[in-house]
Amino acid sequence: MSSALVTPAVPVVRSARGRFEAWRRFRRHRMAVLGLAVLATIALAVLVGPLLIGYDSETIALASKNQPPSLAHLMGTDELGRDQLVRVLDGGRLTLSVAVSAVVFSLVVGVVVGAVAGYVGGALDNVLMRVVDVFYSLPSLFVVILLVILVGAGFWPIVTAIALFSWMNTARLVRASYLTLKQREFVEAARGTGVGHLRIAVRHILPGALGPIIVTATLGIAAAILSESALSFLGLGFQPPQATWGGLLYEAQRPVVSLGHWWRGLFPGLMIFLVVLSVNYVGDGLRDAVDPKRRRS
Amino acid sequence: MGHRAVTAYVIRRCLQAIPLLLGISVIIFVLLQMTPGGPMAAGEGAATQVSPEQIARLRGRYGLDDPLVVQYFNWLGGVLTGDWGSSFDTGRPVLEAIGARVPVTLQLTVVALVLSVLIAVVVGVFAASRQNSLVDHAATGASFIGLSTPSFWFGIMLLYVFSFQLRLLPSSGLTDLRARHTGFAAVLDQAEHLILPVAVLSLMSVASLTRYVRSSMIDVLGQDYLRTARGSGLPERTVVLRHGLPNAAIPVVTVAVLALPELFLGAVITETIFGLPGMGRLFVESADLRDYPVLLGILLIAAVLVVVSNLLADVLYGRLDPRITYV
Repeated sequence: MSSALVTPAVPVVRSARGRFEAWRRFRRHRMAVLGLAVLATIALAVLVGPLLIGYDSETIALASKNQPPSLAHLMGTDELGRDQLVRVLDGGRLTLSVAVSAVVFSLVVGVVVGAVAGYVGGALDNVLMRVVDVFYSLPSLFVVILLVILVGAGFWPIVTAIALFSWMNTARLVRASYLTLKQREFVEAARGTGVGHLRIAVRHILPGALGPIIVTATLGIAAAILSESALSFLGLGFQPPQATWGGLLYEAQRPVVSLGHWWRGLFPGLMIFLVVLSVNYVGDGLRDAVDPKRRRS
Repeated sequence: MGHRAVTAYVIRRCLQAIPLLLGISVIIFVLLQMTPGGPMAAGEGAATQVSPEQIARLRGRYGLDDPLVVQYFNWLGGVLTGDWGSSFDTGRPVLEAIGARVPVTLQLTVVALVLSVLIAVVVGVFAASRQNSLVDHAATGASFIGLSTPSFWFGIMLLYVFSFQLRLLPSSGLTDLRARHTGFAAVLDQAEHLILPVAVLSLMSVASLTRYVRSSMIDVLGQDYLRTARGSGLPERTVVLRHGLPNAAIPVVTVAVLALPELFLGAVITETIFGLPGMGRLFVESADLRDYPVLLGILLIAAVLVVVSNLLADVLYGRLDPRITYV
């Protein structure tokens, strides 16, 4: 009997049905569905929005500086007369790209570390988990700031710094899944038919560990947005004219607090808030969807 | 459970923290190696023009040609004996520079922690005792909103409303520099300056602690012994406050202790928005000046704080819950 024929069948079929069930459970969580719709709208807006508006984010028009929101400028203008809506959309694209890249990066690290620790076990597991503990103990905002000023602010340094200090949760969850799943019969069966360790770890166990991975990845986006925004808000992130939502808030501090130009602060912050809130609700819905045993409280 | 068992447990837990602290020190040492000028600059204070010969002599003096492992242990020895290098900017010893900023941060953090716990317990217990009521849904929704609100945005908008529009509260600093208050007026003045910073700093912890109190309380309220208490005719108030709350408090104390490092981290943002001269502000100023010795010093303190809080949370958890035995 050829091993390729026998082995992948059972877990894959089971997870496909599981996925359908999970989607049905997710749809019942109204706030999660609403959150998903808000996220989709914002993603679409930052991608195509700037093309539809007659301004670009770097054109300076001193004649129309510091204007409150109006029909011509829905989110007002800044001290150089730049249209705030376009700046918010452009900034959003940058914010979201950083967050998504950082989450993908941290997911790769977390899954690899967690899978190796859980699958191999023993002393290696012990060492890797102590490394996780050490990374957990370092306050991420401080280390991220340090790394970014050491390496220089740019897209990849910021993404890497955020990712380097956010993979630990994924690693712990993946390790826990591997520890339980590797004891199951289908793994033993696969090994009995001569399937290699790497193939078992990736093709047979990983699909079963996907649920918690998806949940942490989703919530990770919120955390990454907040990290990047905090960094930029402190003036240590992207340098002008590039500005993420946090960067726009950094620029807005004085205009809002001493000149009363509320629109400069309200809109970029509102975008962060909406995205983070939606992501949190979607994460909540996903958690219920992948783990139906979890009590809704 | 004997007293000796507790002591043994505490000692064992402390010993377990040692490898963790060593791991942290290794990472900080690696970061130190990455800094421009490396550890030598950190030891020499403000950067100055020096000749290659001087650099070579200094390298020898500071043991920079030694193997990295030797350097690490020398550095660690220095850190343990209080030699944390000196600030690039002012030349002051790092510990002294940080120490001068501790009181403000401590004041801010402690006030925020106490306030967060108080609000969270009141709201959480109230919501849990009326599970699925309108109040409960409102509390849950509000805590979700609180968790999703970036503190820096909240801070700016609060300043706009209370300082710019209503002119009720000061926008920055710790005291009113124009009016030199004394006695009680000075205390009031400082309290006025702390209202907005404490509100901003507490936002996250209030939101997360409320969720914990609520779910912990719901867990406890569903237990058999509470049904017994209710069945024996005790008023609901007594059941919730006398029999429920003390048991629900155990996990909450743990989480409150763990919130301490979070608040400390939040102080970076809060102190920056409100121009308060604390450690968080010092970190941002030092980042602007690329004052690495100070930055690494604050990072080390923050990491140790995380380890100590975890330790404290573990020990308290067992101390408060007699069902936990130390093995």
